Amino acid sequence: MIVPYGNVLLLAIILFLLGAVCSISRRNLLMILIGVEIMLNAAGLAFVAASLKWRLLDGQAFVLFIFAVAASEVAVGLALIVYSQRRTGSLNADQYNQMKG
Amino acid sequence: MKTILFFLLFFPFVGGFILAVIGRYLPRRVAEWIACASVLGSLLMASLAFGAAGEKRYLLTLFDWIRVGDLSASMTVYYDHLAAIMALMVTFVSSLIHLYSVSFMRDDRDYVRYFCYMNLFVFSMLVITLADNLVFLYLGWEGVGFCSYILIGFWYSDVANATAGRKAFVLTRIGDVAFGIAIALFFLILDQLSIFSINSKAASLSAGTATLLALLLFWGAVGKSAQLPLIVWLPDAMAGPTPVSALIHAATMVTAGAYLLMRLFPVIALSSNAMVIIAAVAAFTGLFAALAALGQKDIKRILAYSTISQVSYMFLGIGAGDVTGGMYHLLSHAFFKALLFLGAGCVIQALHEEHDIFKMGNLRQRLPAVFWLYLVGSVSLAAIPPFGGFFSKDRILLSTFGHPEPIYKFLALIAEIGAVITVLYTFRMFFVAFLERPSLQEDFRKKDLKIPKFMVWINAPLAILAIFAASLNFPEVFGGKSWLAHYLASIPGGIPLSPASAPLERSMEIGSGLLNIAVLIAAYFLYRPEARFLGRPTPVVFRQRLEELLSSGFYLDRLYQVALVKPYQAMARILWLKVDEGVVDDQFDATANIFRFFSSGLQLWTTGRLSTYLKMLLLGFTAIVSALALGWYYLR
Amino acid sequence: MINNFPWLTTIIFLPLAGSFLALFFARRPMFCRWTSLWVSLADLFLVAWLFTSNLQRHSWSTGKWLLAEDHPWIESLGIRYSLGLDGISLMLIFLTTFLTVLCILVSWKEINAKVGTFHFFLLFLETSIMGVFLATDLFLFYLFWEIQIIPMFFLIGIWGHEERVYATVKFILFTLAGSLFMLIALTGLYLIHGAKTSLYTFSLYQLIQTPLGFSTELWLYGAFLLAFAIKIPIFPVHTWLPDAHTQAPTAGSVILAGLLLKTGAYALLRFGFPLFPVAARFSVPLLLALGLIGLFYAAWIALAQKDLKRLVAYSSVGHMGIVVIGIAVWNTMTLSGATLQMINHGLTTSALFILVGMLDERVHTREIANFGGFWKKMPGFSAFFLFFAMASLGLPGLNNFVGEFLVLVGTIKTWPLVTWFGFAGLVLTVIYILTVVQKTVFEETRNEKFREQPLADITVREVLILAPLALAVLFIGLHPQPVLDLFEGPVGVLIGFLK
Repeated sequence: MIVPYGNVLLLAIILFLLGAVCSISRRNLLMILIGVEIMLNAAGLAFVAASLKWRLLDGQAFVLFIFAVAASEVAVGLALIVYSQRRTGSLNADQYNQMKG
Repeated sequence: MKTILFFLLFFPFVGGFILAVIGRYLPRRVAEWIACASVLGSLLMASLAFGAAGEKRYLLTLFDWIRVGDLSASMTVYYDHLAAIMALMVTFVSSLIHLYSVSFMRDDRDYVRYFCYMNLFVFSMLVITLADNLVFLYLGWEGVGFCSYILIGFWYSDVANATAGRKAFVLTRIGDVAFGIAIALFFLILDQLSIFSINSKAASLSAGTATLLALLLFWGAVGKSAQLPLIVWLPDAMAGPTPVSALIHAATMVTAGAYLLMRLFPVIALSSNAMVIIAAVAAFTGLFAALAALGQKDIKRILAYSTISQVSYMFLGIGAGDVTGGMYHLLSHAFFKALLFLGAGCVIQALHEEHDIFKMGNLRQRLPAVFWLYLVGSVSLAAIPPFGGFFSKDRILLSTFGHPEPIYKFLALIAEIGAVITVLYTFRMFFVAFLERPSLQEDFRKKDLKIPKFMVWINAPLAILAIFAASLNFPEVFGGKSWLAHYLASIPGGIPLSPASAPLERSMEIGSGLLNIAVLIAAYFLYRPEARFLGRPTPVVFRQRLEELLSSGFYLDRLYQVALVKPYQAMARILWLKVDEGVVDDQFDATANIFRFFSSGLQLWTTGRLSTYLKMLLLGFTAIVSALALGWYYLR
Repeated sequence: MINNFPWLTTIIFLPLAGSFLALFFARRPMFCRWTSLWVSLADLFLVAWLFTSNLQRHSWSTGKWLLAEDHPWIESLGIRYSLGLDGISLMLIFLTTFLTVLCILVSWKEINAKVGTFHFFLLFLETSIMGVFLATDLFLFYLFWEIQIIPMFFLIGIWGHEERVYATVKFILFTLAGSLFMLIALTGLYLIHGAKTSLYTFSLYQLIQTPLGFSTELWLYGAFLLAFAIKIPIFPVHTWLPDAHTQAPTAGSVILAGLLLKTGAYALLRFGFPLFPVAARFSVPLLLALGLIGLFYAAWIALAQKDLKRLVAYSSVGHMGIVVIGIAVWNTMTLSGATLQMINHGLTTSALFILVGMLDERVHTREIANFGGFWKKMPGFSAFFLFFAMASLGLPGLNNFVGEFLVLVGTIKTWPLVTWFGFAGLVLTVIYILTVVQKTVFEETRNEKFREQPLADITVREVLILAPLALAVLFIGLHPQPVLDLFEGPVGVLIGFLK
C-alpha cells in the first residue's frame, strides 16, 4: 500500500462527518440526499482500504453492493423529491411534519 | 318390504321437496295434488306394510348417515307392531287433514309454503314413528319441532303468531336437551343407538342408570308433549291454521313424546321410581290442564288444554306399565281430537274467524252436519260409554288403579277427577257453542255461514273411527275381542305388568261410565242456554279471581315471563354492555392505556421535523459507536 | 405423475400470481373482477380435482400425507419449505378456495373503490391462509400466519364500514400481540431442540419429539395457546372479533369468520396439542371451561344485539366454543366433529354474513330494528335466511348438527358434565336465532321509514352465491360420510400424538 491505512481511514472519517453534518444541518432535501451519498462513499472508501490492508476481496465486494444501494437510493430519492416538489412546491424537509405524533 | 317402507317414509319428503323447489311455479291444483298424493301414497304404503308384515318385525337400514369411531348413526327403520299401528294412524289422519286443508286454505295465497311444511311434517313424524336409530329419530324429532314452529307462525304478519311459534320451538328444545343427553348416555353405556338393540340389552342396565335415562327421556317427552312444567307453549300454538292444530298439536306431534317412551319402554320399565314420577307428573298435568280448559273462552284453547290433559293420560298409562292402554288412548284421541279440531275449523271459518264460544251459539240449526260431527267428538272426548274414548281412558285408569304400589291409587283418584272435569269442560264448550241462544239470534242472521261441503264431509271417516274405536279393543269382560291388545302383545310392555281382575275391571268400567254420564247431565244443567250464568266462562260459584286463575292457566305463563324470560333478556343486555363491552374489553383498553401513558413522553420527540430525526439518528449512532469503542478498549 | 408435480405449491401460489395481475390492471375494474374470478375458480377446480382424484397415501415422517413437498430453504437455520396435505387440510383448503370464489362474487357490486387493490389483497389473503393450512415447517407456518394479518388489516381498514380504523387497529393489535408470544416460544422450542439433539430444525415432526421439562413445556404451550386462542377466538380474548366482523366489508367478514378463525383452531390441533402433549392435557379443563363459557356467553349476548352483523359475529364465538371443546377432549369422535364443525361454521356463518351484506346493499342499514317483513317483500331471500339460520341452530339434517352432535356425544366418554352443559347451551343458540329470524323475516319493522320501502328479491348472481352454500350445507347434513372418511386417517395420527 502506497498510502498508509490510517490516512485513508482518517480521510474516510472526515468525509463521513462532512456528509453527516451536511445532511443534518441543511433543510433542503436535495442537500440531505447529497450528504447521505457522501457518507455512503466514505464508508466505501474505508472498505476498499481495509480490503487492501488485509488482502481480502470481501471488502471490495461490499463496495459494489454500496454502489448498487447508493444508485437505487438516488433513483428512488430523486423521484420522491421531484414528487414532493410537485405536490407541495417546497423542498424544505421540516415542512413534511405530517407524521408528528 | 324395504321398498314399501322406503316409499312410506319418503313419499311426503319428495312431495315437500318438489313444492319447496318449484312449487311457486306450479298451478295451484297441481301443487295441492302433489301434496295430497304424496301423503295418500304414504297411507297406501302403510296399509301395504301393515298387511305384508303380519307377525314379523323388520329391522332395515335405508342409508348410512354418520359413522365415526364406534358411533354409527344410520337411517335405520324398525318396523314392529307399535310402529305399524302408529304409521297407519299418522298417514291416515294426515291424509284426511291434507284433503281438508285444500278446502280450508282455499283463499290463502301462501298455499305452497303451507303444503310444503305439512309434507315435511308428515315425513318427520314418520321418521319418529319408524326410526330405529336414535339419532335418526332425533332428526324426525327436531324436524317436527321445526315444522310446528314454522306452521304456528304461518300467519306471521301478526306478531303474536310468530312469537307463539318461537315459544313452542324454544320450549320443546328445552326438552330436547334431555333427549340429546339421553342419546349420548345410551352411546356411553350400551355403545348402541339402535332402539332394537337398546331394548334387547336394557336388562343389563343398573337401576340408577335406568332411572336417569328414563327421566331424561321423559323430560324430552315432556317438552314435545307439553306436559308440566313445559305446558305453556301448546295453548299459544293455536295461533296456527286450524288443520295444523289438528294434525300437529293434537293428533300426532304432541303424542310423539308418549310414543318415544313406548318405543323405549324396556328402559323405562327397569326403574319403578321413574315410572312413579312419570305417572305422578301425568296425573297432575291431566288435572291441571282440565281445570285450565274449564276457564277458556277460545274454542281452540279449550281443545289445546284438553289435548294436554288427554296426552297426560297416555303418559299415565306408560307410568302404570300399560303400553297398550297408552297406545289405545293415543289412537282414539287422534281420531276424536282431529275430528274436534277440524269441526272447530269449520265453525271458525263459517263465523269469519270467530274463536270465542260465547259469541257462537245456534250452530245446531246453522251447521247441522258440523253439529253432529262435533257431538261425536265431544262424547268421545268426555269418555261417555260406549264410545272409543271411554274404553281407552278407562283402561288406563284401571291399570293405574290396579297397580300394586299404593301411591298409584291416589294418582288414579286424581286422574279420575280430571276425567270428570273433562266431561264438564267438553260439554260446556259444546252446549255454549252449539245450542240455541235467543240473545244471539239477531247477530247471526246477518252473517253468511257458508263453508264448502267437502270440508265437512271429509270428517266423516274420523267420526266413524271415533264411534267405532271401541271395537278396536272392546274389553273381554264385556265379551269383546281386545284386538289391539292381542296385536300389541308382541311389543315390549304390550302386556300390562299387573293386569286387573275381571270383577274389578267390570265394576270400575260400569262405575266410571255411569259417573261420566251423570256429570254430562249435570253439565247440561250448568251450561244449557237457559242457565243463569251463561254469560260467564265458569259457573257463578267461582269467583272472579278464580276465573282469571283458570283462564290464564294458573298464571304459569306469566310466571315464566316474569321469572325467566324478562331476567334473561335483561341479563343479555347487561352481559353485553356491562360485561363484554365493559369488564372484558375494558381490561384490554386498560392495557393499551398503560402503553399510551408511557408513550406520551416519547411522543414529544416525534416533532415531525426531519432534521430532528437525523440529529437523533446521528447522536444515537455516535453513542453506540463510542460505547463499542470504549468497551473494546477496556475489555481488550 | 400426481405425486411429482408440485401441486401444493401451485395451489398456494396461483392466487398470488392472480393477485399481482389484478394489481397491474387496477385501472380496469371489470378486468380485475373477471381475472380474480377465473384465477380463484381455477384454484377451486384444482382442489376439487385433488378431492376427487384418488390420492395415494404416501408416508412422510410420522404423518400420513396425501401429498407432500419438502425442499431446503434457509439451510443454515434448518428452515425447510415443507408442505403436507392430509384429509383435514384438504377439506380446509377446499373451503378456502370455495369461499374465496364466493367472496369475489359477493364483492362484484359492493366494492367500487380501488377494485384492483381489493382483489389483490383478497387473493393474497387466500394464498397466505392456504399456506397456514399446508405448512409443516414451523417457520414457514409462522410466516404465513403473520402474513395473513396484513391483507386483512387493509381489507377492513380501507373497505370497511364507519368505524373501520378502530376495528382494524384493534384486530391487528390483538392478533399481533398473540403471535409475537408465539414467535418467542417458537424460537425457544427451536433452540431447546437444537441444544438437546444438536439438530437445529423447524420441522414439525422433529420438534414433536423434543424432550421438554414440564414447566418449560407449559410456558411454551401457553404462548402458542395465547396466539391460537386470540384467533379462534376463545372467551376472554374475543373482543376484537365483534368489532372486526361488524366493520369489515362482506367479503372480509366471510373470510374472517369462515377461514381466519379456522386457522386458529387448525393450528391448535395441528401444532398446539401434538407439540406439547403434557401441557396440552394439563390445559384441557381450562379449554373446556372456556369453550362452554364461550358457548353460553356469546349466545346470551347475541340476543341483545342491535346490529345484525354483530349478532352473527357473536354467534361465531359460540360455535367456535364447540370446536374448542371438541379439540380439547381429543378423541376420534370429537376431533372429527370439531374439524367438521370448522367446515360447517365456515359455510353457515359465511352464508349469514353474505345475507346481511345483501340486506345492507338494499336497505343501507344493519340495524335489526329497521328490518322486518321480508317474507312478503323478498321471499327468495327470506327462504335462504331461514334455511341458514336453521342450519346455524343445529337442525338435524343440516350440517351443523352433525358436527355438534359428534363433539357432544364424543365428549361424554371422558367429560360427561360438558355434554350436559353443551346440550343445554344449544337452547340459548335457538333463542337468539329464532328471535332474529322473527324480527327480520316475519315481523313488520317498527320503523315507519323502512316499512314502505320496496325491495328487490335476490338476483341470479346472488342465487349463484347462495345455492352452492345451501347445497353444501345439505350435503354435509345428509351425507357427511365422505368428509368424515377423509378425517379418519389424520385424526388417527393426531390421536397418536397424545397417547
